[in-house]
Amino acid sequence: MDAPITRTLEPINTGTSVVGITYKDGVLIASDTLVSYGSLSRFRSIQRLVSIGPCLIGASGDYSDFQHITDLLTQKVDEASFHQDGFQYTAPELFEYLCRVMYERRSKVNPYWNRVVMAGSKQGKPFLGCVDLYGTHYASPTVATGYGEQLAQPILRKEWHPDMSLEEAHALLEKCMRVLLYRDCYTINKVQFARIGLDGQTTIEPPAPLTGTRWEAPLTITLP
Amino acid sequence: MVGANGESRYAPAPPKPSDPDGFCFHSPHPEVFSGQARHHHRHSHQNMASLKLQPADQKVLPKAKKTGTTICGLICHREGCVVLGADTRATSEAIIADKNCSKIHYLAPNIYCCGAGTAADTEHVTQLISSNLKLLRLNSGRQSRVDVACVLLKRHLFPYQGYVSAALVLGGVDFTGPHIYQVWPHGSTDSLDYVTMGSGSMAAMSMFESRYSHDLTLDQCKDLVHDAVLAGIFNDEGSGSNVDITIIERNKPAQILRNMDTPNTRLHPMRFQMPLKNTVVLREFIELHEAAPVAPAAVPAPAKKAEDEERAAMPLE
Amino acid sequence: MLTPAVAPIEAKKKEWSPYTDNGGTTLAIAGPDYAIVAADTRLSNGYSISCRDVTKLAQLTQHCVIGTAGMQADRAVFHKLLRTRVDYFKYKYGKTITPTALAQMIANILYGHRFFPYYCFNVVGGLDAQGHGVVFSYDAVGSYQALPYATTGSGAQLLEPLLDSHIAQRNRTQKNPPMSKDEAIAFVKNAMASVSERDIHTGDFLEIAVITREGTQIITREADGVERIKLGFD
Repeated sequence: MDAPITRTLEPINTGTSVVGITYKDGVLIASDTLVSYGSLSRFRSIQRLVSIGPCLIGASGDYSDFQHITDLLTQKVDEASFHQDGFQYTAPELFEYLCRVMYERRSKVNPYWNRVVMAGSKQGKPFLGCVDLYGTHYASPTVATGYGEQLAQPILRKEWHPDMSLEEAHALLEKCMRVLLYRDCYTINKVQFARIGLDGQTTIEPPAPLTGTRWEAPLTITLP
Repeated sequence: MVGANGESRYAPAPPKPSDPDGFCFHSPHPEVFSGQARHHHRHSHQNMASLKLQPADQKVLPKAKKTGTTICGLICHREGCVVLGADTRATSEAIIADKNCSKIHYLAPNIYCCGAGTAADTEHVTQLISSNLKLLRLNSGRQSRVDVACVLLKRHLFPYQGYVSAALVLGGVDFTGPHIYQVWPHGSTDSLDYVTMGSGSMAAMSMFESRYSHDLTLDQCKDLVHDAVLAGIFNDEGSGSNVDITIIERNKPAQILRNMDTPNTRLHPMRFQMPLKNTVVLREFIELHEAAPVAPAAVPAPAKKAEDEERAAMPLE
Repeated sequence: MLTPAVAPIEAKKKEWSPYTDNGGTTLAIAGPDYAIVAADTRLSNGYSISCRDVTKLAQLTQHCVIGTAGMQADRAVFHKLLRTRVDYFKYKYGKTITPTALAQMIANILYGHRFFPYYCFNVVGGLDAQGHGVVFSYDAVGSYQALPYATTGSGAQLLEPLLDSHIAQRNRTQKNPPMSKDEAIAFVKNAMASVSERDIHTGDFLEIAVITREGTQIITREADGVERIKLGFD
């Protein structure tokens, strides 16, 4: 007897928020390195930011789906390079492809259970896009997935400006990651930053704990 | 065509129980609930059981005005005071029911309370507790304490098991110092330095978590609460319009800064010229009635001057 | 033997809906020698604003614009499909499709997806052969109608009576002449700002497509050419 068709009805191994902003010379994104299994901190040192051809991607949601998406995009980039004609996909082109892939799967009612952030450049300007499991997509200078949409996006929208230096951008994302560390249960203090310059140069920083976190108890502890 | 928004054509809404009385257990027409209850007019507990076992999304309740809200409060330890903040949007599902409602409620001269949840619940719970605090003051002749307000609130809310949907930020200063409490609809409470509630609570908390410290001045605290409410207003669709702030300092009247910031003024206003008598009148008639006999003028009641004076002499108001 | 008074309710099967509503409001007006299609640019996700600047309009031909509220992912695909169909029409018949023909084509495409519909609520504006404005309004499965004005989306219920009063001038003894193009643009700004005052999913910026004999102009900025046309940000 044939096995029944199975679908992702809920994500299993999940990653939490990814946050990203554009800055003067490129795009900076950040995430922690935790992959949870339900409420278990299952894998504590997984790199969730990946460099593929002209872009950087990161995702919240199901980690196996994300690995598969990474493979799909890598295939696409490799296919183009095999022709050796100098053609390369740009980040917006790859983003469009990713959006179609996400939408195709939602239309089969078998979605990739992710919200994917893609960073790169578009005609000498930073490009930062986001697509979710429905295929909903948009490009925006500030992007946050998962709890980041609730907790980081207000900070990013308030403090972001187009000509931020890398240091300013780094400090801003660190601030967001600290807030997420305080308030998102599925976060650990091992955070990774990655950036892509306007020249396509990617730098993935090694994971490190956040500095400057504060854990003072409230001064007033009153009963009841 | 089924209207421009014809969702119903391909995704019919789940059948709704035909019960017009919604959640009323003791309906004068018990047959609307259950065929079994038709012939005896005692209170049938079966009805209660079947209602309780209905999935939550099928219970028919009247639509209530909600304050999909950003409310928040913090303690300024440096100056021993409390700052409360709220937006002013009240919603009924996706429609904005009130663009400038007031969500910071009076409990006592030294205690105020922000409310999120069902507007009626937050308003009535705070009025009730305000009244009980006043009675306590009249009985004891002492200033109200914030922890007493907190206990009164949770004692009221807990037995209702969350059905009184009031999520509150309680703040005040009494002789023990400044206090902020977070009060949940189920009746649990937290005493913390800074708290947020409502649909915009995460947006507001992002400001608090990134900027709060124990040694902020009152002005800095006020700015922080202002920015926390603004974060809710601009990032949460359940919150909007204006910023209300109330500052409570020790031995000072509370500063009520209603609409201290109005960042969402009307855009693209337009004057519409409507000529007089522009409405189509279908029928016009005048009915004549005999004039009613004029009632004798009522004798004004003597003013309860003594009682008023006695009240004015009460301390601590 | 004891039997339970009420049968236990079966656990609901887990199901994932492939639909999501990203909110937004569209508006179209047919004038004597122009047509207007307008929409806000907010992309909502539940109570969050995902993005403040996502267009709901697509210019399909020189004299035809579509505005779509509903699910953004479906809209993107639907607009893309319409553009290819418009191109294909041109290659096949050697002329641009008229707005009236395009309106029927849109209905056919929507009805073609009758049992897995596009979650799209469209208005279409254009000019007919005589140069008069025409507007069409659709539901998600392809029921459509030509109307003097139309609105769809999360703020449609708020906008409809305003249009009844000011465009159709219902229940009035003295009717004004139809609005001029500029009056209509000013009215659209005012009406959409009114919707963004009361509908939580509508706001941020306004885009107005104005279709005249000369062609289509999509207005996204105020007269100074710098400032975007703002709606409520809250």
